[in-house]
Amino acid sequence: MKKNANAIAKLKLLISRIVVYGILIFLTFLCLFFFYLMFINSSRSNAQLQAGFTMIPGGNAMKNFLNAWNDGSINIPTGMKNSFIVAICSALLTSYFSALTAYGTYVYNFRFKNAVHLFILAIMMIPSQVSTVGFIQLAYKYHLTNKLWLLIIPSIAAPAVYFYMRQYLEATLPLEMVEAARIDGSNEFKIFNQIVLPIMKPAVAVQMIFSFVGSWNNYFMPALLLNDAQKKTVPVMIATLRSADYSKFDMGKVYMLMVMAILPVMVIYTILSKSIIKGVTSGSVKG
Amino acid sequence: MAEVLLKNIKKIYTNTESKAKKRGLFRKNEDQQEEKKINLQITDEGVVAVQEFTLDIKDNEFIVLVGPSGCGKSTTLRMVAGLEEITSGELYIDGQLVNDVEPKDRDIAMVFQSYALYPHMTVYDNMAYSLKIKKVPKDEIDRKVREAAEILDITQYLDRKPKALSGGQRPRVASGRAIVRNPKVLLMDEPLSNLDAKLRNQMRSEIIKLRQRINTTFIYVTHDQIEAMTLGDRIVVMKDGYIQQIGTPQEVFDHPANLFVSGFIGTPQMNYFDARLVKKDGRYFVETDGISVELAEEKQARLKANKVEEQDVVLGVRPEHLSIADKGIEGKVDVSELMGSSCHLHMTVMGKDVIIIVPTEGKTTNYAGKDLHLSFDGNVAHVFSKETEKNLEY
Repeated sequence: MKKNANAIAKLKLLISRIVVYGILIFLTFLCLFFFYLMFINSSRSNAQLQAGFTMIPGGNAMKNFLNAWNDGSINIPTGMKNSFIVAICSALLTSYFSALTAYGTYVYNFRFKNAVHLFILAIMMIPSQVSTVGFIQLAYKYHLTNKLWLLIIPSIAAPAVYFYMRQYLEATLPLEMVEAARIDGSNEFKIFNQIVLPIMKPAVAVQMIFSFVGSWNNYFMPALLLNDAQKKTVPVMIATLRSADYSKFDMGKVYMLMVMAILPVMVIYTILSKSIIKGVTSGSVKG
Repeated sequence: MAEVLLKNIKKIYTNTESKAKKRGLFRKNEDQQEEKKINLQITDEGVVAVQEFTLDIKDNEFIVLVGPSGCGKSTTLRMVAGLEEITSGELYIDGQLVNDVEPKDRDIAMVFQSYALYPHMTVYDNMAYSLKIKKVPKDEIDRKVREAAEILDITQYLDRKPKALSGGQRPRVASGRAIVRNPKVLLMDEPLSNLDAKLRNQMRSEIIKLRQRINTTFIYVTHDQIEAMTLGDRIVVMKDGYIQQIGTPQEVFDHPANLFVSGFIGTPQMNYFDARLVKKDGRYFVETDGISVELAEEKQARLKANKVEEQDVVLGVRPEHLSIADKGIEGKVDVSELMGSSCHLHMTVMGKDVIIIVPTEGKTTNYAGKDLHLSFDGNVAHVFSKETEKNLEY
């Protein structure tokens, strides 16, 4: 009787594991399939791509790469450079200033402190498209288009990043540490830079990655603000290739450019993945 | 080292501050908040944390502020540190009024309850941080850090991060960080409260040794009366923001100023009996449960000086001063706890819980369930006013 019950329990466990692993495999497939598709397609010619979908790589990867690299309508190294400048500056500034703001509202007590906190959070509810119209008008009015810093500066105000940083501080920073630093003779700015920021390293790393990826992939604002070929970022260049006229249209070239575009992101993700996991789980377990 | 003078210090958390405190924006945990709400006085101005605090701390003295949670001892310490604003009163360090002086300019150091070590720095860097900020030359920093590490026996851990330190090493590093600066005043906010009992005993003696090695004025906050008794030159017993008594540990133990102090200092706590103070031929006696005990000469003199009249009193006798006798106050032993060299008897006497300590003297006697008679001498009886709860000798 007991043996029977044990066998049933084992079978139940096996079934539940099959179901769980099945779901996980399906989700993993959903995540990775499109990457795989992109890599496959980047190795196929335009004609092969027109012929339909296949799982086997083609032999045109090098040709697609050279076609994209030598395309007269785009300049990949310049695009990469522009994207990199915008992405890295945005990531640095967003993380630093959001951490600074979060530190300010967490550590200091001042009148309307909570109102300030709520106001910043309320900004999260406003879709970026709403403010974009006014921003574009402003940029055109003051002849600020085709300037990369115009894409960088607004990214400093990132309420979602602020919220994340604030939550992180609440979970990890005892105020006694700030007080200890004050007694040690440190001024407020040094306390933030030398004591608090190093403690926030995992959170800053996570937000830098997210911000970098967000800026790197951003198409909406650069498309509206950058007309000069020398100022275009990679996503705008991909769009330029896609919108080429029928005679020049080469889907293989577009896929290859997309592969080139995601490579830096993949490299950064691989290098910093440890920090991402550490940052996401921090605060959940008492250290 | 320096003299510290607190003159009529008062701290009121205004309503916004106390709201912020309740939300946990200050550093207290939830339980302490709850206790604070119960203990502290709430007025129109806000929550009163410390009142009429006057204390003259001498050069090189070790002062212990002791009291239950929410009594204002940590707030007082934080005001000395400059981490809390002083609502009213004057604070002098080394003769200088420092009410509005920034913490970094007060030449003080502080050991926090959580130690507040910088987690990303090594022990060496933690200790050297304040000196680096002061732009002390590197070789001098190195010498001072190694000297402090030597005193605290943490030289071998200088390259470690705080995470890699044991429970006993962390308070040492925190102390090291404080003494490396050679501060005028060293403040310690319950530095041993996170340690287990064994480690706490060990660290207590380490603090005594540290005190002997460095010349500075110590202000130490604790809720543990054993720490207060063993460490302090003088102890300040606090309750509800008020000072209850200031004195040497022996004075406070032998002559508690009121019922609160008598109960707070001493373990197990003092026993209380309903009694009557009577005067016979100009001599004072306490009568309770049919027995009459003549008070000692010293007490007679004090009561006489205070012109104390006959009255109903609360009689306090410490557990170690009650002894088993043939005649005396009747009681029944409920529980007998063998502690090794002594036995703690939990009794019911005159409807009240009473504890007495009986030396075992090498033989084991089970007192549980027995009816006993208790007696005490006139020199260990404390008489407190029923109305004011003050010791009538004061």
